[in-house]
Amino acid sequence: MPDLATPRPRYGQFTTALRFAVRNQTRNRLAGILLVAFVPVWYLLMQNLVGHQTLSFRLFATGTVLTVDGGRLTLISAGLNSLTLIVGFAVFDAIRKALAFDRRLVFAGYWQHALITAKTLAVTLIAAAVAGYGALVLLAFWRPAPTAWLAILAGYTVITLTYGAFGLLLGVLVRGDLEGFFLIIMGGLLDTFLQNPLGNPLANKPVLQWFPSFGPMQFAVGGAFGHTALWGHLALGLVWTAGFALAGLVIFRIRTRGRRQVSRSLPVVPREVAG
Amino acid sequence: MNPVLKAEDVRKSYGRHQVLRGVDLTVAPGQLVAVVGENGAGKSTLLNCLAGTLVADHGRIDLNGTLGHCPQEPVLSGSLTVEQHLRYFAAAYRLSTMDSGVRLVEQLGYTGFLGTPAADLSGGTRQKLNLTLALLHEPDVLLLDEPYQGFDWETYLRFWDLVRDLRTGGTAIVIITHLVFEQDRFDTLADLTDGRLTARAEIGSTHA
Repeated sequence: MPDLATPRPRYGQFTTALRFAVRNQTRNRLAGILLVAFVPVWYLLMQNLVGHQTLSFRLFATGTVLTVDGGRLTLISAGLNSLTLIVGFAVFDAIRKALAFDRRLVFAGYWQHALITAKTLAVTLIAAAVAGYGALVLLAFWRPAPTAWLAILAGYTVITLTYGAFGLLLGVLVRGDLEGFFLIIMGGLLDTFLQNPLGNPLANKPVLQWFPSFGPMQFAVGGAFGHTALWGHLALGLVWTAGFALAGLVIFRIRTRGRRQVSRSLPVVPREVAG
Repeated sequence: MNPVLKAEDVRKSYGRHQVLRGVDLTVAPGQLVAVVGENGAGKSTLLNCLAGTLVADHGRIDLNGTLGHCPQEPVLSGSLTVEQHLRYFAAAYRLSTMDSGVRLVEQLGYTGFLGTPAADLSGGTRQKLNLTLALLHEPDVLLLDEPYQGFDWETYLRFWDLVRDLRTGGTAIVIITHLVFEQDRFDTLADLTDGRLTARAEIGSTHA
């Protein structure tokens, strides 16, 4: 007989959910291959294409226009670009595939808050790990000062968190794989491409402030080339993260909640099957 | 004996298409009921309404006890092994051990797949795991939607041994099926026709 007399405490569900959520997130082989192969190749390709031409980059917080090495600026931009795609894709895929299973778990008695907290933490861990990896690989192409590297790492971390949350939102919102992948690829490409003044006439224009990667890009470039920490812009990136995550988790909660129209222990007159 | 499950005048439509037009169903502890109907008759809709995974438009469903629900299409996580599924659902049901899960796996004869991810299981074994997850907590009411699809003959017989044991323990079972091979296994057969449930026959005693 299962031990129903002394049920396990509900908080115990959290550790189980976290372990399996992390496992689910890390089981995407394609995302793993892209991370290992695509990121360094993308850095290499972009660096060789751009060379060392000089570019102007506006820091909106101070109004300063920095004159920077275009190759190095493009390395930062390439990192943001590749990492957003990989994290967005991996999280979207894992969340979407697990949604029906999560719903079954909740119907079986799983505490929704345990699942939601575990998924949030799992996405955070994955995003931070991918950002750390991207920043480490960058060192093979460019050795910035430690504080400059930390600024880039912080920018990478915030943008991967944002796109992790975006993947979560699409995972609970979008019905098909194709729609989700398309939105992540188009969104990520447009967003990060527009921030780089290389070949983009809109760069350094205020309209860029309305894109998710604006804050992380400003923080990373400000720290890497301007010796300044634009904390407000980093926080702006986290606002995007929180917005996407909140919307995604609310929809997750709605889509996995029980809809039982059942009352328990109601006295009724017994009868057999009736037509 | 008070029923463990009672549905009254349950109605459900999809747009203008009325699928359930007033279903009544009363199930006593230990009773085995088959709901039979053609493809598209609304059997799965009825079961999902009974399970609470689908909202009925009208009617009342009363459950007096715990519920286990085995959907027609296995709802599993492809990346998790059989054992990890058992662990996850033991946590959902807040069981302190995995003993019941391991026992069910032995009873259904797929112990050799405990370490296999669900994505690598055959259709029949996925169905066994699907069934196991609905049974871990030994529910008072078990709702099964075409449970033996994909089972080989030996597994089919093991399934009925399991049903017998569950009923002995007082579990009421509602099986949705489009084909009934052995009518005498059931206490009640009910036909779902034109959105209504009609009792076909009273076949055996409550614990046949």
